[in-house]
Amino acid sequence: MLSESARATSAAEARFRVEPGATVSRRLRVVALDAASDRLVLRLSKGSWSSVTFVPHAELTTRGADDIAAADLVVMVASVGSDASAAARIGQACSDMRTHTATFVVRPSSATDEGLSRTLAQVRPWSLMVVVASDEAYVEDVLRSFR
Amino acid sequence: MLRQEQNDLLTQTGPGTPAGRLFRSYWIPALLVEELPSNDCPPVRVKLLSERLVAFRDTNGRLGLMDEFCAHRGISLWFGRNEDCGLRCPYHGWKYDVTGQCTDIPSEPENSTFPKRVKLTSYPLVERGGVLWTYLGPADKQPPLPEYEFATVPAAQSFVSKRTQECNWLQAMEGGIDSSHVSFLHRGDINSDPLFKGARGNQYNLGDLRPVFEVVESPGGLYIGARRNAEGGNYYWRITQWVAPSFTMIAPRGGHSVHGHFWIPIDDEHCWTWNFDYHPTRPLKDEELEAMRAGKGIHAKVIPGTFRPVANKDNDYLMDREAQRAGRTYSGIEGFAMQDQSLQESMGPIVDRTKETLVATDSGIIMARQRLLHAVKALMEEDTTPPGVELEHQKVRSAAIVLPPDQAFKDGAKDAMRVQPGVAPATV
Repeated sequence: MLSESARATSAAEARFRVEPGATVSRRLRVVALDAASDRLVLRLSKGSWSSVTFVPHAELTTRGADDIAAADLVVMVASVGSDASAAARIGQACSDMRTHTATFVVRPSSATDEGLSRTLAQVRPWSLMVVVASDEAYVEDVLRSFR
Repeated sequence: MLRQEQNDLLTQTGPGTPAGRLFRSYWIPALLVEELPSNDCPPVRVKLLSERLVAFRDTNGRLGLMDEFCAHRGISLWFGRNEDCGLRCPYHGWKYDVTGQCTDIPSEPENSTFPKRVKLTSYPLVERGGVLWTYLGPADKQPPLPEYEFATVPAAQSFVSKRTQECNWLQAMEGGIDSSHVSFLHRGDINSDPLFKGARGNQYNLGDLRPVFEVVESPGGLYIGARRNAEGGNYYWRITQWVAPSFTMIAPRGGHSVHGHFWIPIDDEHCWTWNFDYHPTRPLKDEELEAMRAGKGIHAKVIPGTFRPVANKDNDYLMDREAQRAGRTYSGIEGFAMQDQSLQESMGPIVDRTKETLVATDSGIIMARQRLLHAVKALMEEDTTPPGVELEHQKVRSAAIVLPPDQAFKDGAKDAMRVQPGVAPATV
């Protein structure tokens, strides 16, 4: 006789998995921390998204940090070599509101290790997760992975 | 989460599939050396990437890996007679050498040229580091032999094991790069397992259950860094290496050996979990080897004569609810290896990634999937060599290191994350 685990892990039993519950989509806010990331964030904003909003760099000075942090997850986007100091203001607001943060650092091939270290020093204190990648296409891929 | 077509793309590795073509770009571990221990020893069935093959060592010690079935009427050559530099089918005596070339068809006239026209599909099989490696891709694209450090140090410095895992390769591999589960699932073992305990770094693990993760693209795959607070405002980093498609190396602890894995598809619902422990600068101690053979650390005790773990789905993994309740183990399953494997198998033969709810700490897994998807696309559309094929991508190390808060670990641990012969690993 098959054990319960053997029965439960078969391909036949996998068919009976229930549909996911009515989980409310997480509200994601994608923030361009510097002007260099603006192009990417603006391009992404033109795509079709559910519960994802985008904050271009220009709005960082006109929009309240609390307003930006009012989300389930704030994803900040920075480019190596640019000034990502806005992460502190956003990050502090997120910390006060218990909003999770993640930062995507786009590293072009011309960027130096010193430049990367400077950008990371600015974003690390405010990010629960940091991703460094050379291809900005990964930003959209990662965003679409979150339900 | 992935769309269904993306999930299918990464989990199907049989002949003619895109991820199958990806895996066929690399040398992959096929057998332990001890499975073909001597010349003319019994042949062994091998199934890799959904291809049924048979392996043997001939009279002169040459290794062969070829189609399992005789070209005549499809008999399994596992029944074959390994003799006089070939494997002879016991049904009608057709004989094949290690390249799959038919060398004798007894029913044919003595000078018949017909045998020369019969050849089984065969693949190279070579020995390196206690492992027999094979390459299932096109001969004209065969890369140089692998240079992972565990396979190139002297034999006394390395130990390799393997076990069967009854689920798709990808969900197993994702467990290997998911640092965030360690503080939960393996909590009971970090300070008790003989191959893990005693390291100063363990206290950072147990003192900080919410590490911050940093995932950085590397030439061969990813560096996955887990950061915890250390003394003096510094950070304690544990940096895992992931080299595409399925190699991982975990950060060392104290003076223990360094370990890691490969996950190699058997078919779409089963995989091999390969486990290595090695030290770059010293032989493994007797007590370390004893512990590895006993299924400690990342190794598992297997049923004698098989590679199936003793604790498996047929006995509910020897679940101990009392141990779970008492906190000796977090899940009730004993040992690092089966703690991981039991949960990964529980996801089903191929987990449905359209039903996931991922969080930020899953970014390592998300990035690995995307690296693989990008690599498959580039391979199929532009015949681009995938990451991890180049030898420099394989000459990597994991690292445990304390760094100042404003330093990128890719910079601060640069030397520690590459192979430096004769130099001890970076560890805490």
